[in-house]
Amino acid sequence: MFFAVALCASQQQQDAPAPPPPPDQSAAMKEAVRNFLAIGAPPNPEAVKRGQALFVPNCGFCHGTNAHGGNSGPDLVRSVLVLHDQGTGKEITPVIRNGRPAKGMPPFTLTDPQILDIAAFLLSRNQAAANRMEYQLQNVVTGDPKLGEQYFTAHCASCHSPTGDLAHIASKMDAPALQSRFLYPRDQSFFGPSGPPNPRSQVTVDVTLASGQTFSGALNHIDDFSVALTDQSGQHHSWLLESEPGIRVQVHNPLQPHLDLLKQYTDADMHNILAYLETMK
Amino acid sequence: MKLSHLALLFISSILTISAQGLDPASIIHPEKGSWPTYNGDYSGRRFSALDQINAHNVHDLKLAWLYHAQAGPGGGSPFGVEIKSTPLQIDGVLYFTVPDHAWAVDARTGREIWHYKWQSKGGIHTGNRGVGIYHDWLFFETPDDHLISLDKNSGKFRWAVEIADLAQEYFSTPAPLVIGNHIIVGVGGDSLDVPGFLESRDPETGSVQWRWNTEPIKKGDPGSETWPDEQSMTHGGGMTWLTGTYDPELNLLYWGTGNPNPVHAGQGRKGDNLWTCSIVALNPNTGKLVWWFQPSPHDTHDWDNIEEPVLFDAEINGEKRKLLAQAARNGYFFVLDRTNGKSLVTAPFIDLNWSKGVDSIGRPIPDPAKEPKTDGALVIPASGGATNWPPPSYNPETGLFYVSSSPSYSVYYLTDTTAHPEGYGGRDSGLWAESALKAIDIKTGKIRWSHTFPGEGGSLSGILNTAGHVLFTGDPSGNAIAFDPASGKILWHAALTSTVSNGPMTYELDKKQYLVIGAGDMLYAFTLP
Repeated sequence: MFFAVALCASQQQQDAPAPPPPPDQSAAMKEAVRNFLAIGAPPNPEAVKRGQALFVPNCGFCHGTNAHGGNSGPDLVRSVLVLHDQGTGKEITPVIRNGRPAKGMPPFTLTDPQILDIAAFLLSRNQAAANRMEYQLQNVVTGDPKLGEQYFTAHCASCHSPTGDLAHIASKMDAPALQSRFLYPRDQSFFGPSGPPNPRSQVTVDVTLASGQTFSGALNHIDDFSVALTDQSGQHHSWLLESEPGIRVQVHNPLQPHLDLLKQYTDADMHNILAYLETMK
Repeated sequence: MKLSHLALLFISSILTISAQGLDPASIIHPEKGSWPTYNGDYSGRRFSALDQINAHNVHDLKLAWLYHAQAGPGGGSPFGVEIKSTPLQIDGVLYFTVPDHAWAVDARTGREIWHYKWQSKGGIHTGNRGVGIYHDWLFFETPDDHLISLDKNSGKFRWAVEIADLAQEYFSTPAPLVIGNHIIVGVGGDSLDVPGFLESRDPETGSVQWRWNTEPIKKGDPGSETWPDEQSMTHGGGMTWLTGTYDPELNLLYWGTGNPNPVHAGQGRKGDNLWTCSIVALNPNTGKLVWWFQPSPHDTHDWDNIEEPVLFDAEINGEKRKLLAQAARNGYFFVLDRTNGKSLVTAPFIDLNWSKGVDSIGRPIPDPAKEPKTDGALVIPASGGATNWPPPSYNPETGLFYVSSSPSYSVYYLTDTTAHPEGYGGRDSGLWAESALKAIDIKTGKIRWSHTFPGEGGSLSGILNTAGHVLFTGDPSGNAIAFDPASGKILWHAALTSTVSNGPMTYELDKKQYLVIGAGDMLYAFTLP
């Protein structure tokens, strides 16, 4: 069941999307995502800084201070010439030195190391656009906390309490992670860890054999052919359904109410509930 | 001409044929029991006429052999080797790929004949769908955008040509489609808003025979009225990353196109964004567009519309029609008249919440309220889609279209609010998904039966139907499963080492029917005892 969630990431997302982003944005995970997206090594951050300091006054007026393009100069983030430069300076040097007189770009007298720094800055801009897993979300807390509280009281309060299990919930994770967490609580969301694993979300199963003997415990696995559980003593049990005529399997998913609500929320409900939860700092 | 000369000519022509491997003309009417293309034939139905393995004996299926595809350290993909290609079976040999790797394996025994490795310069290594074969020459595409040609008998390298620019973040995954002397190649790549295209390459040299661009190039071109400006259309996406289908009688090539770019930020590309998220019909000799239908006008959810356009003939309203059906990533099932692209059926195959209905020409009407928002929009399905590339199947005996589906929820965020966004411009956060095999009535689009697999997770597997009244696919738990295609009853299963990762295929050799399934880095062959 839980491994299936992991499969969801690698199988379902297929060609265009990629695996979920790093839970803690750790260097290793960032590197793994970069590798998946086939984005090359990041340029030296010091060179990027120096390059930006040179780019803004020299190039920013025409190409925009972030190289997105400006009044008279084209976008350089997706420029084929810049993409071929790859931070080497080889492609952009002649353009900078000679200008493009026909298009109104004057020549610039920058040194080789200065052009290398600009190349590093442009590479960082290319990579920032290409690395979607590191895009920063804007403000997601836009709802009305009062309406959120009303919704909470009507639909959530039978299981959750703002002073009990949810006390300080908004201090434990950032707003996007909290949004994912309340919509459907998993141990981690696409935006990082959304709190420690909660034993309350453990799926359990009751297995009753034809003899009447019953086994209960944490669900380890279920498919169309078998079921497996761990009982209270830690013992693993499994059954092949075809070998146990009359077997009855009852799965209890404590997250079912979340799933039921997921099918009902309007976007306004979602934003209001988040705004209310954000009051629980 | 003297008789002896005639005889000599006859003999030499036999020799030529036997030495020529797969004659492309033979793909039009493939021999029963062969599998000469990605989909087994040009139609994409993935329906085999073989019936030795059938509903009465399928429970006796036994493992005949298995082959472990080893790509070496770091080979294949960042997540290890995953066979997403459907093997071709020609003259007793299976040909298949993972990114940068191609294999020939004995179809009777699973013994390796050759293994070719391409030295990659990079690119996204998410998957490869397989090979195309023209006479004795094998073709496959690579993550670093090369079309490779090998001698299919020896695995010896013939040549490689670049088909797209890696520096612009293109990467290539489809199995090339061979039509006559055309090698049809498509491309992928969403990271930096590059334009999509489909090309025909020469089997001798790899040179371009024609190129069809997914978008218009300049103002005034047909389709340019669906884009605000030239800047947006030349960065408009619309990748061609899954192998299409072909109708030899109509001489039309059918291909699905990917989402527009920037993927999640639509404010810089207002309009329908033709011909992204479309089904297009092209003349395979010229690459000229004959008709199109757009299942996702102005997509903002990453719902590439590359899913297989499946071709079959059936009666609709008492009239025999040439049809094309597609279960799209956006959650709608479409049936078109494939002679002209006119819509006959549009119906959702999962519950979804992003559309305001269907317009007069059969296209879903996207609800702007469900486009990605800075604070999030809750949308069904997630960006991976209601389905994806894993091959669907049409069974002419049941009149049903089968698709591996994933009802799923996700919050879509807009991250780039500028007038001219770049890159994806947003992202989505998947919340929950499950997996279900659905059987759809092609006349109405209604779900005839559905099997939801126990447990959570949006895993998808390819589907094969056979004349033995058996449907083969996989579940999210790593089982290969045979269903009764009429009722949805399970007839057989086998536990594999991972989920079925390709489209199952079948062939017959020495009067024995084989079922071959890829799961992770293993290829499994089953036969009757």
